Amino acid sequence: MLRHAKLLLAVPVLALAAACTTTDPDYCAVNVRGDLEDAMRTVETKLGSGCEYHFDGYFQSLLALAESNPDKNNRRHFSDHLMRVQDMGVISRRQAEGLYNRYFNVKFVSLQGDYNTCSQTCPIRKQVMSDMQAELHDKELGLMRASNDAASFYRADHLLKETDLVLEATCRACQAGDAR
Amino acid sequence: MMNPTTQDLRSARSGSWRRGPALLVTALCLFAGAVQAAGSGPVVRLFPTTVLEDIRETGQVAEDMENNLQQIIHRLDMQQQLYSESLCEGADGDQGCERIAKQLGSTYLEMLEVMSDRLPEMERAVNSTRSSLEKRLRQELGQRTTPTSLQNTLLGEAGTVAASQEDQPALRGRSGVRLSDRFKQYYDLVSTSKNGPSQSLAVVAADIYLDMEEASQLIAFTQQEISRAALMEQLNQSFGMITPEMSAVVGGVKEILFGESTMESPIASPPYAIGETEFVSPLAM
Repeated sequence: MLRHAKLLLAVPVLALAAACTTTDPDYCAVNVRGDLEDAMRTVETKLGSGCEYHFDGYFQSLLALAESNPDKNNRRHFSDHLMRVQDMGVISRRQAEGLYNRYFNVKFVSLQGDYNTCSQTCPIRKQVMSDMQAELHDKELGLMRASNDAASFYRADHLLKETDLVLEATCRACQAGDAR
Repeated sequence: MMNPTTQDLRSARSGSWRRGPALLVTALCLFAGAVQAAGSGPVVRLFPTTVLEDIRETGQVAEDMENNLQQIIHRLDMQQQLYSESLCEGADGDQGCERIAKQLGSTYLEMLEVMSDRLPEMERAVNSTRSSLEKRLRQELGQRTTPTSLQNTLLGEAGTVAASQEDQPALRGRSGVRLSDRFKQYYDLVSTSKNGPSQSLAVVAADIYLDMEEASQLIAFTQQEISRAALMEQLNQSFGMITPEMSAVVGGVKEILFGESTMESPIASPPYAIGETEFVSPLAM
């Protein structure tokens, strides 16, 4: 009877100890260096064994590693990595798309929506432009510094300028229409 | 209402008049391309015939105004040169200098009168172009376009042809060309252009619209300024003075009509390697 009680007590203690092991900061710490794909695999292993909450930190570390070793293929590696992490259930499809497009696509995730421009964007035009400006900085890291793709970064920069101009004119035209 | 300063007018001029015509050329060129591309996907119709007709008419009015002012401004330049070369600045009491100054003032008044006669027509033409573009922008980009599709339009996915950068006229920043010549170029481009990219049509329309808005304000300010300047000059005629304000106004008019000013930096064109196969992620928007 006493032996059984000890056993029952030991199970939760062991479980608690195991939990402590997986949430130990040292356990989740990854020295992200070397080959980018290898580093991504290492990160994915950690993400699959209790370190999901470290995803953001890992992602930034991987970006820093890519920045140290710029290559056109890096955006493909990030795309594959995000797809795998999404398949693991660590992040949603929307988050994967958001991150990929924010850093590696010419288009801006800050300028999206299903309603018309007059009603959706114009009332918050300044905020949208400010968000796009911040996103351009991330694109500079993802496209130019990490992927060595200056052409795409310049297209994004150009798109930002054009959007600013077009929104200014369009929103003025919308406002003039409302005033009538 | 606040009276505009000469500085206001000069900055307004540099912002709108120099850039507007260049953009209109681009607009008309791109319009021709858009017409060719019609029938493949949704088309943003920013430049219907009515807008083009407004642009053409604005060019005609600009030419008339230019013809009327050219001779007078040339005379003003000569008189100004004579005044300067005769070392009249600061030569108070010199009868010869006073005479040149009065002649200069009289020519200046003549220029103001011509402008006063011509500006209402220019104002009507500019306002008409602005108004028709405003309507198209509101309908096509404001109400029929979502932020997502606007982005696609700007990136050229709505168009069918990814033209090389050399085919795309630079937006803004062109100067040193007569106002009427620019408008003629626009019209020639419309009638002779064989093809062209359509992706920048929205940008061109936006730029023209904003320029026309500034131009409209500038004309209104100028009309107010003319009345005031004419009164001041009539008073100055009694004393034979040449004011810095006179030089500024003449300089502004020359800038508007003959493009005699420094260029602004155009939007940088991105270096785009044609023929490269781009990686397309399944996550891409």
